[in-house]
Amino acid sequence: MAARKIISRKAPSGRKFTLNPKVARRSFMKIAAAVTALTGLALSGRLTKEAEAKAKKSPYSQSKIVRTICTYCSVGCGIYAEVENDVWVRQEIAQDHPVSRGGHCCKGAGAIDMVNSEKRLKYPLKRQNGRWVKISWEQAMDEICSKLLDIRKKYGPDAVHWNGSAKVSTEMAYLQRKLAAFWGTNNIDHQARI
Amino acid sequence: MAMKFICDTERCIACYGCVVACKEGHHLPIGVNRRRVVIVNEGKPGEKSISIACMHCSDAPCMAVCPTKCIYKREDGIVLHDKTKCIGCGYCLMACPFGAPQFPKSGPFGARGVMDKCTFCAGGPAPTFSEQEKQLYGQNRIAEGKVPLCAGMCSTKALLAGDSEVISEIYTQRVAKRGAANL
Amino acid sequence: MTNHFNDIRHSKLLFFIGSNAAEAHPVAMQYILYAKEVNNAPVIVVDPRFTKLAAKATDYVRIRPGTDTAFLMGLINQLIQNDWYDKEFVRTRVAGFEELKKEASHYTPEVVEDITGVPAKEVVRIAKLLADNRPGTVIWCMGITQHHIGSSNTRACCILQLMLGNMGKSGGGTNIFRGHDNVQGATDMCVLSHSLPGYYGLSDKAWKHWCKVWGVDYEWIKSRFYNKKYMNKPGFTLARWYQGVIQEDKITQYTPIKAVVFWGISSQSISQYHKVKKAFEQLDLVVVIDPFFNTTAAMCEKDNVYVLPSTSQYETEGSVTSSCRQAQWRYKVVNPVYDSKTDYEIMEEFVKRFGFADKFYKNIKKIPEDITREIANGCLTIGLCGWLPERIKKHTDNWHTFDIDTLQAKGGPCDGEYYGLPWPCWTEDHPGTPILYDISKPVAKGGLPFRARFGTEYTYPDGRKENLLAAEGVANPGSEIMGGYPEFPGWKTDKNVIKEAIKRGMAPFGNARARCYCWNFPDPVPKHREPLHSPRPDLIKKYPTYPDKPDHYRVYTRYKSEQKPELAKEFPIVLITGRVVEHMGGGDETRSNKYLAELMPEVYAEINPRLANDYGLRDGEMVWIESPEGGRIKIKVKVTERVDDKTIFIPYSFSGMFMGRSMLSNYPQGFEPYAIGEPANIVTNYGYDIKTQIQGTKECLCRIKKA
Repeated sequence: MAARKIISRKAPSGRKFTLNPKVARRSFMKIAAAVTALTGLALSGRLTKEAEAKAKKSPYSQSKIVRTICTYCSVGCGIYAEVENDVWVRQEIAQDHPVSRGGHCCKGAGAIDMVNSEKRLKYPLKRQNGRWVKISWEQAMDEICSKLLDIRKKYGPDAVHWNGSAKVSTEMAYLQRKLAAFWGTNNIDHQARI
Repeated sequence: MAMKFICDTERCIACYGCVVACKEGHHLPIGVNRRRVVIVNEGKPGEKSISIACMHCSDAPCMAVCPTKCIYKREDGIVLHDKTKCIGCGYCLMACPFGAPQFPKSGPFGARGVMDKCTFCAGGPAPTFSEQEKQLYGQNRIAEGKVPLCAGMCSTKALLAGDSEVISEIYTQRVAKRGAANL
Repeated sequence: MTNHFNDIRHSKLLFFIGSNAAEAHPVAMQYILYAKEVNNAPVIVVDPRFTKLAAKATDYVRIRPGTDTAFLMGLINQLIQNDWYDKEFVRTRVAGFEELKKEASHYTPEVVEDITGVPAKEVVRIAKLLADNRPGTVIWCMGITQHHIGSSNTRACCILQLMLGNMGKSGGGTNIFRGHDNVQGATDMCVLSHSLPGYYGLSDKAWKHWCKVWGVDYEWIKSRFYNKKYMNKPGFTLARWYQGVIQEDKITQYTPIKAVVFWGISSQSISQYHKVKKAFEQLDLVVVIDPFFNTTAAMCEKDNVYVLPSTSQYETEGSVTSSCRQAQWRYKVVNPVYDSKTDYEIMEEFVKRFGFADKFYKNIKKIPEDITREIANGCLTIGLCGWLPERIKKHTDNWHTFDIDTLQAKGGPCDGEYYGLPWPCWTEDHPGTPILYDISKPVAKGGLPFRARFGTEYTYPDGRKENLLAAEGVANPGSEIMGGYPEFPGWKTDKNVIKEAIKRGMAPFGNARARCYCWNFPDPVPKHREPLHSPRPDLIKKYPTYPDKPDHYRVYTRYKSEQKPELAKEFPIVLITGRVVEHMGGGDETRSNKYLAELMPEVYAEINPRLANDYGLRDGEMVWIESPEGGRIKIKVKVTERVDDKTIFIPYSFSGMFMGRSMLSNYPQGFEPYAIGEPANIVTNYGYDIKTQIQGTKECLCRIKKA
């Protein structure tokens, strides 16, 4: 297999693959790695800490770590978000999460971009004469709600269709369903349908 | 000791987690890929993928050919370079068997910017945690006692990073468990 | 999922059908590859496309799109014919076996080969593999569900596992890898047009239960509806709501739809998307609430649209339920950025102006924790009673204390509990149920029998009577009754009944048999029906679709009248869609991420070299793909052997182009995504599941023309 060859070429010269792991000689430095062959954690912090004993500080001295959950697929990978002065400065590896064990796909590895992206929608917008116009929240909500209430009055509650979301929290999803019920319709659905 | 990467091709699923972990972690510009995923036999039986970056060679050919001697090897085997000395000649790219050195988009007349490559998340010769280090080389996680982002975030634990003897041991044990059928 | 991702470590075989986990659920792959490596488990991938997952398979089976039920029934038939099925399991915990056996006997390996294209020998070989390697897990995704017989497909998967005796066992189970991060939570909350939260449905009893939980007068809620009939009648679905606007199919509602609100969702995932666009042009009002300027807003070319910036999920908090029914607390990372508001704040703005804030927030003072409590008070059916906010937070705060093999905490503050309290989590001290229908553990410790939902006895059409409760001797350890028992009266609305049942070692919902014969389904035993748009006209007569359904979620839905044998002449190529790892859903978020956009910048159609050569197409050239409904897209050709020479694959995560035209000018400057492309759903066809109305995007026909 071609790919395997690359690896064996890069393996330290003279090293043999041995079927008995205990045969391998270990120095204290190597033992420091909290790795198990089968769980496959790549490298422990302790190993590198000892390797680079001189450095102690972090680039973000005032930061704190927040545990949170990736927003893409339903595996529910853990994320350590490093936050300093209310800015998400860095995405850390949640290696002790019981399901993802630090792992991410390309989407989750860039989860921080959800907050820091330049492309984020920044203020309410309304389409007027074919152009997008920036409006205030107050104006937006007033206009939307009065239009919705007019439609309800004129055509009935089922003239509005609500599409809720699989991307919000369970609590928010619950409120979306509750809102439709209080509005007086069953015209509500979300991504799970398709 | 020698810091190395191993990519286990039986585990790599080409999810590009390593690629984005690296880019996002070091704020790399578009077009600069310190780490790439190569797929062979795409769409056919025998399809395999492998994640490749600078392999931090024991006897690094890039060091030998660099005319400004800006590439150097640390005691722990990590190969770094000094961007302030690099002239962007591209010899290192020609010498590298893995295509690791990256050059920002060419300007007029095909001029090349300063070379960029995987640092094993160990920053560079600028003062540790300085703004200059961050701008030129990205995070210095090794100085913080943290693992490189790519391997730490690998979705299937295909990409291993660490002391070569330790990670090859992990790999050896895996291969042993797989049995002959899955070699 | 009946089991959990980590539990795949115990599987002796992995059977994927209509799932591409390597791209859609990459992090789950660590457990899949572990089982392959350490248990030497065969990895069987059944898919029309040689996916990245298939590249990791030990056995890849290429199947014709839309024929999954035939293949699965073929496997089931082999298990029965060769006596490879789990007789004890069937004797004690399964109902309707005789009816299943009769129906399955039709699907001989030769019949299966004719329908599915899988060689007869392969059918037998795969069945033997399944029988020889137990427990095995069966995993599927939208490749199984997005068909007009999607509900039969899913049931056939379940029946396969019943025959193998793989249900309720570690390493076994039916494991549906769900799509979005909280699609399980949102489904549990029934943001769905046919049910109130907790799958209570829309009956009077359900409304009365929820009115009690909300603390509002039932009569008041009733007065909010047009009339009582519309309170019990399922509404329009996401798949077909736009028909309520354009009315190409007859609607069964007193008014057309005049306004639509898209809250945390976009529209390009809806099939026949060019018709959805038509609806946007006719609506009086479109409201889009999203952290990014999404496609829906860009598609509205009339002055009828408002766009509200909600925060991302990291600027608010609440619980999320992963695919394996486990809750995690998604903590707030930072305060809202820019002038965005959290979804909770936006909800308050609506409710305040609608004039029912006092009623709506009667039990809710602290957001979101009091909402979690209200959910726990109301969702008894799936046992969310134990999901208190402080418990969920405790699990997330201590995620490092859980064992990766069992997901059970070893010591620490969550000692003995399962990570995320997988539902049903019956009481405030229940540890959660990591594996559904597992009778090896007491119910109080996470065990569960099959639910007794359909009475205690049934008489089949041929007069055979069968007891629907589990056999004598089959129950969870510590059960007061060692054998089947019916549900406890009132368990769905009274927490004390649940507590009483658990105390007696029993499941509140009874202990029954799993049904192979579902009399409340159009096909009581799953059977093959040719896709509405079939590339095999010769099979339509033998395996016709259903009769038309006049009131299917308020809209006339064509089946028989849509299935025309001559269609394949004009539209000879099969079209399927799917996920790529770089993008999520419709891709509005991920295409706004520069690194992901760089990795996957444009949409393409995968075309087999043979088909490409037949049409004179070369890699990288542009091609028009046209649907029978008049949708057409212009996209790049990617010549690859991932697909066979009768099938085209398109990833569905693109938008921003529309039938050859760029929509970029409809985006406000600076808010457009980095990558745009034609939405695949412009060319996905008509066709909806008979039960759920999920769209059939995995069984379409199209034609191609060099652009």
